[in-house]
Order: sequence, then structure tokens, then C-alpha cells
Amino acid sequence: MKTQIVGRSLPRVDAWDKVTGQARYPGDFSMPGMLHGKVVWSEYPHARVRRIDTSKAEAHPGVVKVITYKDVPVNEYGINIYDQPVLVAEGDKVRWVGDRIAIVVAETERAAEEARRLVKVDYEPLPVVSDPREAMKPGSPLVHDERSNTNILHHIKIRKGDVEAGFAQADVIVEGYYITPYVEHAYLQPEAGLGYIDEQGRVTIVSAGQWPHDDIHQIAHLLNLPEDRIHEIVPAVGGAFGGREDMYIQHLLALCAYVVRRPVKIVFSREESITRTGKRHPFYLRHRWGATSDGKLMAVEIEGISDAGAYASTSIPVLANATSFFAGPYVVPNARIDGYTVYTNNAVTMAMRGFGATQPPVAYEQQMDKLAEALGMDPVELRLKNLFDEGSVAVTGNAMPPGVGIKETLRQAALAAGWREENGRWRRPDLGQPAALHKRRGIGVACAYKNVGYSFGFDDKTTARVELSLEESGAIGRARVRVGASDVGEGVHTALAQIAAEALGVPLERVEMAPLDTAEVPDAGSSSASRHVYISGNAVLRACQEAKTRWERALREESGETHIEAEYTFHGRNARPTTSYDPQTGQCEPHISYGYATQIALVEVDTETGEVDVLKVWAAHDVGRAVNPEMVMGQIGGGVHMGLGYALMEEFIQQEGLVRTRKFAEYQIPTVLDMPPEIVPIIVEVPDPTGPYGAKGLGEMTTLPTAPAILNAIYDAVGVRLEWLPATAERVLSGFRSRRGFGNLNGAGHQPGEKR
Amino acid sequence: MLARPALPSFDYVRANTPDEVVRLLQEHGQGARLLMGGTDLFVRMRDGVIRPQIVVDVKHLPGMRSIEYDEVTGLTVGAAVTMNQLARHPQVQTHYPLLAEAANSVASYQVRNRATLGGNLCNASPAADTAPAVLVLEGRLVLHSSQGEREVAARDFFTGPGQTAMRENEFLKAVRLPPLPAVSAGKYLKLGRNKVGDLSIVGVAVFAFPDGTVPSGYVFRIGLASVAPVPLRAWEAEEVLATHSPGEESFALAAEKAMEAATPIDDVRASAAYRKAMVRALTRRVLGSVWEVLE
Ligand SMILES: Cc1cc2nc3c(=O)[nH]c(=O)nc-3n(C[C@H](O)[C@H](O)[C@H](O)COP(=O)(O)OP(=O)(O)OC[C@H]3O[C@@H](n4cnc5c(N)ncnc54)[C@H](O)[C@@H]3O)c2cc1C
Repeated sequence: MKTQIVGRSLPRVDAWDKVTGQARYPGDFSMPGMLHGKVVWSEYPHARVRRIDTSKAEAHPGVVKVITYKDVPVNEYGINIYDQPVLVAEGDKVRWVGDRIAIVVAETERAAEEARRLVKVDYEPLPVVSDPREAMKPGSPLVHDERSNTNILHHIKIRKGDVEAGFAQADVIVEGYYITPYVEHAYLQPEAGLGYIDEQGRVTIVSAGQWPHDDIHQIAHLLNLPEDRIHEIVPAVGGAFGGREDMYIQHLLALCAYVVRRPVKIVFSREESITRTGKRHPFYLRHRWGATSDGKLMAVEIEGISDAGAYASTSIPVLANATSFFAGPYVVPNARIDGYTVYTNNAVTMAMRGFGATQPPVAYEQQMDKLAEALGMDPVELRLKNLFDEGSVAVTGNAMPPGVGIKETLRQAALAAGWREENGRWRRPDLGQPAALHKRRGIGVACAYKNVGYSFGFDDKTTARVELSLEESGAIGRARVRVGASDVGEGVHTALAQIAAEALGVPLERVEMAPLDTAEVPDAGSSSASRHVYISGNAVLRACQEAKTRWERALREESGETHIEAEYTFHGRNARPTTSYDPQTGQCEPHISYGYATQIALVEVDTETGEVDVLKVWAAHDVGRAVNPEMVMGQIGGGVHMGLGYALMEEFIQQEGLVRTRKFAEYQIPTVLDMPPEIVPIIVEVPDPTGPYGAKGLGEMTTLPTAPAILNAIYDAVGVRLEWLPATAERVLSGFRSRRGFGNLNGAGHQPGEKR
Repeated sequence: MLARPALPSFDYVRANTPDEVVRLLQEHGQGARLLMGGTDLFVRMRDGVIRPQIVVDVKHLPGMRSIEYDEVTGLTVGAAVTMNQLARHPQVQTHYPLLAEAANSVASYQVRNRATLGGNLCNASPAADTAPAVLVLEGRLVLHSSQGEREVAARDFFTGPGQTAMRENEFLKAVRLPPLPAVSAGKYLKLGRNKVGDLSIVGVAVFAFPDGTVPSGYVFRIGLASVAPVPLRAWEAEEVLATHSPGEESFALAAEKAMEAATPIDDVRASAAYRKAMVRALTRRVLGSVWEVLE
């Protein structure tokens, strides 16, 4: 489709305010008479709270109130299940070090800080449940003994075809046991915000939420107030990556304002941000795959266990997503797949860029390379034989809907990286000379895919409202778009404004995105699942189309109207209905739409130190339609950065529920010098006919293939399979030395407290 | 377990004379801390490791921020000279490139604008990146107290993690490096988990020059960081190279001895076993590249 504004790299609508420092982030908000809150955190990963003594803290100069469980009207919350106390009560348990005992509210930040150390808690320590694989076994201590007699929070089964028969027909079988780590979101802006009672007596929160309307829903429950007595304002957001999908400070701000009836500000330190908030799920993935000698996948058997941490948060939907992706974007006739998520006393785990789609490719793409090696086949060629086409049937029994661009991403990435195709045979490129004798080069390919929008029968919807102010001539002077989509830094407001401008036929400058206040803009769901361009884009597009029709009618009828409004609610199910897993077979219609990706990494490995340099990444992404190509490239750069960290250095380490990586000096994220000198973005556009202008989704997909591509490249370079992330220099070297018969490094490669 | 988001309160005094510093140290004892760039001090105060009542800023004392070079007496670096100042100083680059290289390996550019050579040494972290270079260049630390000045050799300065030979009311004024032989070569190699600003997992500095009085004809000095309670010289490894002629074989043997000198610990950054293996690998590598220059 020919377009004027969609498809152009226009400057972001928030760029000017951000680069000139005018944009205000939650921590920038203050009010006269404002108090400061500090949280008293649990000191134990698992313990019964015998007594909470707040008397010393209350007597501390400047302290206004020490809020405890006694002040919480309904002391439970949770985005999925109400299994978390807002503040832990005497007689109840703390289940991880992110549990809260109290909030000290004081006239100054310093007084609050001093007083929070004066709250005395008498704990009775309990046995710590720290490994989900142990926690699953009968007889394990229970994290939620009052809820259930098992720590298994959820189990999903997929059964397709006849797995035994499939393996019997296979000529080669490859196996693997892959472990992915806990990962920290590490956004630039630590958790912060302000809570107050506004002039209308409403509980008001200023904070960075990904789904403010859902926060309101949960807060209404815990404060036992009607939803219209609460609202949340989301100003500029300093990154989210899933870490702000669940509440982390919103409920605390609301509670403080509700209890003390004065403005209260809470700002977490970086240490609090790292140690006391949710993380990406670690997965333990056991794989067994069989293929015929001509490279056709025949059967897969997969078990995946995720660590849910102390509370459910979104662990069940993350597991549901992950399980549907365990076998990758490949046609597999026979499958037996089991996914479990298990409570432990570790950090709560939650959404993080990929929502269960990031861990599976670490396993399935290494499985593919193992098969390619066993078959003596080029890894590109093997993948092309098995990748989805439109209409291919996934392990869940559904046919893949139109817009399947996975093969195209692989072809384009492979050709760009120097692969040659001759009569259907693929030949890898020559990699050139490494920089030194002790270095070896390798190249690795990885494909991945992920859903766009909420899945498994969830009613994914966005309501958008558009208001046109007409000039005297009748022309559209201004279009104001009201939609509750939180721009977490990815640029969704720009993308939606471009869609609105395109649909209305006005320049981008005439479109204004209304500030996000839940009382002023309708619910648009969460900034997650790579869904806003597709779901909210569809809502904005249709609201604008309707407004344009009314405007044209007004012009025809010369009605003299100066103001035109239209509203539209787009439901994902109207495009493609989804269904939940069949409890016995797992067969279902899992997702609405998909984005597809291939990345290829060229690396150099130092055989004396184990250090890995990523020299170049080719990243091909099928986005359906790039609404703003520059923003797509920005997402690709950021996604590769996160994927590189996942592959090589990021690991949130806990030992018996206690955090060992408490700050950035301990928890590493890649610096600019760790990034490849070159990333080649390749935008592929295989439209989804149900997407706005054919657009699908992208944000999460950019990070999925990076880690497995790097791991496959390391194997290509030095013959070391790293099934256990991250591939630190120490682990790479340890693998290399034992492979070369140099003997192990005497315990190197294992960090204290880690179990394999 | 509580995170401390802010510095606790303290009094700040900007000292103008060395005597004032000594007096304040005498008056307050452990309650006073000296400040230069603050990149170690403030982090430790914020983390609640130390809680001084008074912070004495010593970087404005006369001579603290100057670099002087003299062919006969060598290099004198004021204690408060920053890493970036040091790394970019023409005479340091020409005559002591190893020191410039070591200074440049510390943290990130922004931190190097504040971090000082003296602070790095006084902080006495086993991971101090300039320590191996100062050790192999046989630096001397100029200490000031009420009794006046005294000099301590770098090799005697570090006594434990965070511990030095400085007395209660002494402070560091400058670091002196002797003039170097006409022909020499040096190199510092640092292994970290990332490529900017991570504390080193292992750091190895080598400084070498021809010397007819030594059986092998060459003196090799080897300094190690992050592999023992203090930055240290690998004396036995140096001895190997004083008696064996330079080459792959003796370098391998010396690297083995350097590894034996290392007594590292396990932490979140690396295991002790990996650190030991890296002392050997890096020592061999640095010896090789230094030899390439000398040969
Ligand atoms: C992000 C970051 C990254 C870092 N990376 C590295 C790295 O890669 N390598 C590395 O080696 N270090 C690193 N450091 C540590 C630090 O930057 C260096 O040790 C720096 O050189 C310290 O110098 P300073 O001037 O900031 O010292 P300050 O913090 O001012 O002082 C350090 C200590 O010395 C004492 N002191 C100060 N002046 C005197 C004096 N004149 N006499 C006696 N005692 C004195 C202080 O009381 C304090 O105990 C890093 C620090 C940060 C924050």
C-alpha cells in the first residue's frame, strides 16, 4: 500500500523534550508538603514474621507514620493471582528478600532512611527453597503452604503425533540440557514516583507503569475503593523491558497517600532496584530431537522448568508462551512437550523482553546446529528445510496465519553475511583471518519468532479516541489522540501518531498524543507483547478512519461543526480468535500474530583467556511493515545489546535466596566497547493483512536470536558448546581446555553456590 | 541488608597547608578521611562501610596536582594528579609509557577525570590498576607527617587489602619514579568482564631492560593485581628471567612461577582457579610482547 507518513523515518514526537532535558520522569515530580517513604525489606528469603516492632522508628524525629499490614485494607495483590501481600503481617511468612514489612514515611528522605533501620522484626527462619527442580519433588518445603501442597504453580502439556514412532524414523538424535540465567531489566531509571490525594479526593499516582489501567484495577482491590477513585499518571519512562508491567512501587505510593493523606515520594536506589524487584525467568530445558538423514525433523521431546520465584506475577502466561515456542519456528510432526513453573524463595520472575520467547531459542537453535553437524549439513540449509511457511502446522496444531517471513529473514541475513546458494545448497562464507594467533573466528546463525499480542483466549484490546479540532476553512487543525499506551522509550507514541496522521491525511505535526492519565485516556493494555503497533495501531487507525468519515460528512453537509470525535475498541479476537491450551494435548490456537527474526553473529574467541569478541551481527527482522524504519533500527541495536549481554555476561546470582550481584559493579551489562563494531539491520516486510498497514510487532523479537547466534558462533570457532548461560570468558576457556584434553581448571567455570 | 541511597552527612574541610592536614588527622583520628577524587571514598561512605565525621580535601595543597620530570631525578607525580592528566602528559607518555597505559586502563574516561594516582594507591585495593606499574617501575611514595617527609618503596607500601604502611597521621604527597634506562619496554594487560571500567579479574604489568650485570643480560620485573591480598611483584618469576635467556621457554617457566605467586579468591567476577590460570596466560603474553619491543 502506498503511504505518505507510515514508512518514513520521522523524528520522534518526544525527541525534543528528551534531548533538551525538559521531559519529566517520575523521580522529577515533587509537591509542597511532600513526605518521603522508605521500604523496610525482608531480611530473609524464607521466614515467619513473629513480631514487628515499629516503636523506635515511630519515635524517630521527623517520622510521620510507619505503615504496616494493619493499614492495608485488603492485603493482597498480583497481576495474575492475588498471591502477594502488600506488607507482610505478623504470623505470616516472608518468601523472598523483596517482601516488604513496612513503609516508613517521614518529613525528609534522611529521616525515613534512618528510621527504616529502627524497625525491629523478629523472624523465625525457615528452610530456603532455592532450586525449582528440587522444589518440584514431593516432600520439598512449601513456599505457599496455605495455598497448595506442591510448589508447582503450573504445568502445560503438548502432545502431538506419535513421538516414539517419530524417533524410530529418525536417523540422528541430538540432546541437550540448557540452563538460562536470571536476568535484571537494568533500565536507566530506577523505580520512583509520587502518590497524593488530588483536589477531587482521588488517590493519585505518578509513576512509570507499563499498564497503568491494570495497576488501577489492582490498587482498587487492595485499597477497597472504586476504580474511579484512583488514577495513575505516566510521564516520561526511562525504560521498562517488562520490569514495569507488574506493580513495583505504584501500590506502595497509593497506600502511602491513602494512609497519610499527604503527598509521598518514594525513590528506589539502584541496589533496591536490582535486589528487590522482579527478573527474567531462568529456565532449565532438556531437549531430545530426531531428524532423518535428509534433514527433516521427525520428533522432539522437551521438558522446560522455569523458576517462578516467590510469587506468581506473570509466571503462568510466561510459561504458556515459552512452552508454545520450545520447538522453535519449525514444522515438527511428533512432539511431547512439558512445561512447568515452580515457586521458590528466589526473586520473583516476570515479563522481560520476550515474555518466555527469549529462553527457548537458546536451546532450540543450539539443537538445530547440533543436528546440522550430525547430518553434515549447512545450518542455513537445514533450517530452510524445516522453517514455517504460511499454513504450516505448529506443535500446538494451529496453522500459521498469513505473514510468515521467517525464511525470508534467514535468506537475507545469510546472503548479507556471505553465504552462497547454488541449486538449493548453501555454502558458508570464508571468515577471514583472526587478529592474533591465539584467536579463532566463528560464525553462528539463529532464527526465532514470537507472538504479537496477548494469547490463549485472553481478550486483547485497545480503545482509542480521536478528537479533531477543525479550522474555519473546515480543515483539520489538530487531531488529539487519546489512548492509554505507555511510551516506555520504544517510541510507541510516535508510531501511533504516524498511523493517525496517515489515516487522517494530515501532517504528523497536527497530531497530538494526549498525556497518559488513566482518568483521561482509555485502556490500551500493556506496553508489552510487542503489541501496541498491531493492537493499539489498529484501534487508532479505525478510530481515525471513523473520524475522517464523520469529518467528510460534516464538510459535505456544511454542518459548521468545529469538533469531531470518534472512538474505537479493537479486539485481537476480531482479527484472529485464540484459545487456551487443551489440558491433555495442548492443542490450541495460541497467538494472534507473529514477528520473525534471524541474526547471524561473527565472533573471535581468545583461546588463552576465553574472551569472546563479537565482531559483527547481521539482524534481519520481519516486521510486516516498518512504520518508522529508523525506530526499527534503534530497536534492533537495543535488542542486540540485550542479547549480547544475555549471551556473554549477564547473570543475577542468588545463593540460598540471597542476592550476590547487588550493583552494577557486580552485575555486568555490556558497555559500548563490548558491542560489535558493526550491526547490519535488515528490515523484511512480509505484511500481516490484519495489521495496520500490514505491521506486526518487533520490540521483543530483536533480542531473541542474538544469544543463540553468538553461542553457535563460539562453537564454530572453538568447538565448545555452552549450554549454560552466560558464556563468560571463564566458562568458554574451561570448556575449551577440557575439550582439548588439557584437563579442567580445577573448579573454574563454576561459581560458588551454583549447582548444575 | 539495607541499601543506602545517599551519602551520610559529614563536615567538609578544604586543607590549604600540609600542617593543617596533619593537625586534623591528629585531632580526629579514624573520624577523619582524606579526599582526592572521591571515587573510592564516596562509594564506601555511601555503602556505609565507613562513616567519617570529617572529610579533608587534600587535592588543593601545593604540588599535589603537578607532574615534574627531570632526567637525573626522574618523575614526580603529585598524589592528586588524575588518571587522565597522567595518561595524556607528554613526558609521561615519552618516558613512562607503562604508567600512562596503566592509568588509562582504570575505569571509564569520566571516572578517570576524577580518579587520582594517589587515591588508587592509598585505597590499596588488590585490584588497583596502577599498582603493578608503580611496583615494576620501583616507585617510591612520599609521605608527610608532623615529623616531616619520608619515602616508602612501593613494594613495602601495601600491607593488606585496604591496608598500607602509612601511619595514623601521615598522608601521601607524591609518587616518585626513578629515571629509566635508555632502552626499556613495559606493558600492562588487564582482564575484566567487560571492556570499559570493570575492576580487573587479573592485571599483569611487565617492565624490562637490558642489563649486563645480570646473567641473562636482561632485567624483567613483573607486577600482579587482583590475585592476592595486595598487589605484588612476582619475585621468583623475575629470578627465572634473570638466569635464563629470554624466549618462549623461559617465559613459560616464569609465567608458571608467577601463577604460583598468586593466591587469589573466588568471587562473583571469577573463580580462584581461573584467576591463577589467567596469571600464567597473561604473564606469558605480556612477556612476549615486551620482548618483541626489546629484541
Ligand atoms: C565506576 C568505577 C570504576 C572503577 N574502576 C576502577 C578500575 O578499573 N581500576 C582501578 O584500579 N580502580 C577503579 N576504581 C576505583 C577508583 O576510581 C580508583 O581507585 C581511583 O584511583 C581512586 O582515586 P580517588 O582520587 O578517587 O581516591 P579517593 O576516593 O579520593 O581516595 C581513596 C582513598 O585514599 C584515601 N586518601 C585520599 N587521598 C589521600 C592522601 N593524599 N593520602 C592518604 N590517603 C588518601 C581516601 O581517604 C580513601 O580511603 C573505580 C571506581 C569507580 C567508581
